[in-house]
Amino acid sequence: MIWINGDDMTDDNTSGVNRRNLLKLTAVAGVVAGSGLLSARTATAEDGLSLKGKRIGISATGTDHFFDLQAYNAQIEEVKRLGGEPIAVDAGRNDGKLVSQLQTLIAQKPDAIVQLLGTLSVIDPWLKRAREADIPVFTIDVGSVNSINNSTSDNWGIGKDLALQLVSDIGGEGNIVVFNGFYGVTPCAIRYDQLVNVTKYFPKVQIVQPELRDVIPNTVQDAFTQITAILAKYPEKGSIKAIWSAWDIPQLGATQALTAAGRTEIRTYGVDGSPEVLQLVADPNSPAAADVAQQPAELGRVAIQNVARHLAGETLPRETYVPALLANKQTVGEVSKKLGIG
Amino acid sequence: MLVDSPFIPASALEIEAQKSLEPPGSGPAFGRRLATLALRGGALAVFVGVLVVFSAAAPFFLTIGNIGNVLGQSAIAGVLAIGLTIVIIAGGSNVVTGGIDLSLAANMGLSAAVYASLVQAGQGDGVAILGALGTGLAIGAVNAAAVTLAGIVPLLATLAVMNVVAGLELVLTQNTVVPAATDFLSALSAGGPFGIPVLAYILLGFTFVVAAVVQYTPLGLRLYAVGAFPDAARAAGLPIRSFVAGSFLASGLCGGFAGILSVSYLSGSTTGAGDMLLPVVVTALLGTVFSRRLVPTITGTLLSALFVGFLINGFQLLNISSTLVSGVQGLLILLVVSATTLLGRKESI
Repeated sequence: MIWINGDDMTDDNTSGVNRRNLLKLTAVAGVVAGSGLLSARTATAEDGLSLKGKRIGISATGTDHFFDLQAYNAQIEEVKRLGGEPIAVDAGRNDGKLVSQLQTLIAQKPDAIVQLLGTLSVIDPWLKRAREADIPVFTIDVGSVNSINNSTSDNWGIGKDLALQLVSDIGGEGNIVVFNGFYGVTPCAIRYDQLVNVTKYFPKVQIVQPELRDVIPNTVQDAFTQITAILAKYPEKGSIKAIWSAWDIPQLGATQALTAAGRTEIRTYGVDGSPEVLQLVADPNSPAAADVAQQPAELGRVAIQNVARHLAGETLPRETYVPALLANKQTVGEVSKKLGIG
Repeated sequence: MLVDSPFIPASALEIEAQKSLEPPGSGPAFGRRLATLALRGGALAVFVGVLVVFSAAAPFFLTIGNIGNVLGQSAIAGVLAIGLTIVIIAGGSNVVTGGIDLSLAANMGLSAAVYASLVQAGQGDGVAILGALGTGLAIGAVNAAAVTLAGIVPLLATLAVMNVVAGLELVLTQNTVVPAATDFLSALSAGGPFGIPVLAYILLGFTFVVAAVVQYTPLGLRLYAVGAFPDAARAAGLPIRSFVAGSFLASGLCGGFAGILSVSYLSGSTTGAGDMLLPVVVTALLGTVFSRRLVPTITGTLLSALFVGFLINGFQLLNISSTLVSGVQGLLILLVVSATTLLGRKESI
C-alpha cells in the first residue's frame, strides 16, 4: 500500500529485488495471487494459537489513516484474544518519536515486536537492534531483512485485478492516462508492471505518453490540475478512456477533475480502498470505476497470529500475503461492509 | 523584577512597600511568601512526584538503561531548547515581544537534510558536519540581521525565516527521506559506557558547556542584563545589538548541531522537522520553573526537556494508551505554566 505521507514510499532495495525475482520466477502473477490467498486462508482458519503470558510490542508509525487505525486496533484485539498482553505505541507519524518508542520497546524486552509501516531506512537500524537483543521482529507492509515475517498485501494480485477490470471496462481498446510518479516504490512498481503485462495482450489499449507524475504532498490538487490540462489537450469525447494510478489519492483528484469538466465518460482506477474513494465508486454517476482495497484489519490479525506461530516453534514464510478486495460499481457495497466502512 | 512587567500605578507600589516593611510571619505577606514557596517548589515537586509514581508502577523505569534512553531521546529537543533559551535570555522573556526563535526546528531539518545530502553525494563526515553547522549558522545570521538590522520583532522575523528554511528543505529533499549511514553517525547513535546511549552523554556535555558559559561567566551575566534590563545594560555601555545578534547566531549553531544528532538518530534526514517546534518552545518556556529565581536558565531547560522525556517514556512503560499521552502532557504543562505565571505576577509587583 502507499500512503500519502510516504511512509512506505521508500522500500528496501534488497526486498525490492527479492520481490522482482519472485515475479520473474513465478512469471504468472495469478499463481502468486493464488498462493497468497491460500496462505491467508490457513492463517484465519486455524486456531488453538496462544499468546498466554506473552508481552507483544505493537509499534505503529501512526494511526491517523484508516489503514493504520484498522491494522493497529486489530492487532491489539488479536493479542488480547490469544491471551497475551499488548504493549501498543503510536508514533503519530513522527520519525523521531517512532525511533524513541522502538528504543524503549527494545529495552522493555517484550516477547516480540510487530512494526506497522514506517520508512525502512529510519526503522531498520532499530529493528536490527531488537533482533540483536533476541527479540523476534515482525512487520506489516515493511520489507525488512531484520523481520522474521512481513504481512502484506499481494501487490501482483492487486495490479492484475485492477488492470483486468480496466481493460474489460473500456472494451479492450482506447487511450489510458497513467500516473507513474512512484515507480521507485516497490508496491507501485509491481502494480504498474502488472498493468503493462495485461495491456501487452490488448494492442488497441495505449498508455498516453508522457506518463503523468503524481506527487506528495498536495496529491489531490496536483492530480486535479494535471488531469484538467490533459482534458484540454484531448477535448473530444472518447479520446481518453480511463485514468490509472498506483494508489487512490491521485484517483481522487482525477475523479474530481473529470466531474468538474463534465467528462464523466472517462473512468478512474486506483488502489488502497480509502473510504472517500470507495464512496465515489459507490456513486453511480461518479467516474470512479474501481478501487482495490487492502484489508488492514486482516493484515493486523494475520501478523499477530504469525507471532503466535513463531513463538510456538513453527517456521514462517518470508512474507504472508493477505488478499485485497476489488471494489467496482457492483461489488463496492459488499467490500465496504467487509472493511467495516459506513 | 522583569523589565517587561506590567505597568503598576505608583499607589500600588506604595502599598507593596508598606507591606514589605511588615515583619515576617504576619498577615498576608507571610501567606504570600508561603504561596510563593509552594509554587516555586511545585514544579520540582511535580517532577519528583511523576518520577516516584512511574518508578513505583513500572520497576523498569528507574534502571540506568532506561534513564540513559530517556536522556538520549531528549538530546535533539534538549539541544534545540537550549538554543532557544539563549535567545530568550538575551531578548527578554516576554513571549510576544521578547526573544524567540521559531526557525529552530526548521533549521534542524534543513541542517540534517544538508548533512544527509552531502553524505549521499559522497562527501565525508567532516564536510557534512561543516555543512550542517554552516547551514545552522547562516540561518542564525539571517535571523540576527532581521532582528537587529531591520528591527523586526523576533516572533515575526523568525517566523518568516522558518518558512523560508522549511521551503529550502523541501527543495533540497523533494519532501523525501534521504538516508545516510556512516561510521561516525552509527557511533553517535550507538550505546556508550554503562549501556547509556552516546547521545545522552552528548546532551549532558553540551548542557554543561553552555551552562558554564551562560551562567558562570561575565559574558553570561551581561547576556542576562541585556535581556532583563536593557535600559540599564545600555546605560552601562553594553552593546545590546551585538548580544542579541550573538544569541541568534548561537541558537542557529544549536540548530545545526541538533541537525547532526537528528541525522544519526534517524539514520538520515526525514520530513516533519517542523513538528519539533512547539515541543521545543514548550520545553524552553517550561524551563523557567526549574530555576531558583524563575528565569530562563540552561540547566532549567535541561530539566524541562528531561521532564517531558520521562513523561512520554513513563506512559509507554505503564502501557497507558498513547492517545492519552499528549492530553496528560498538555494538562501538566498547563498546570505548571499557570503556576509560574501566577508566581511571576506576584514577583513583579
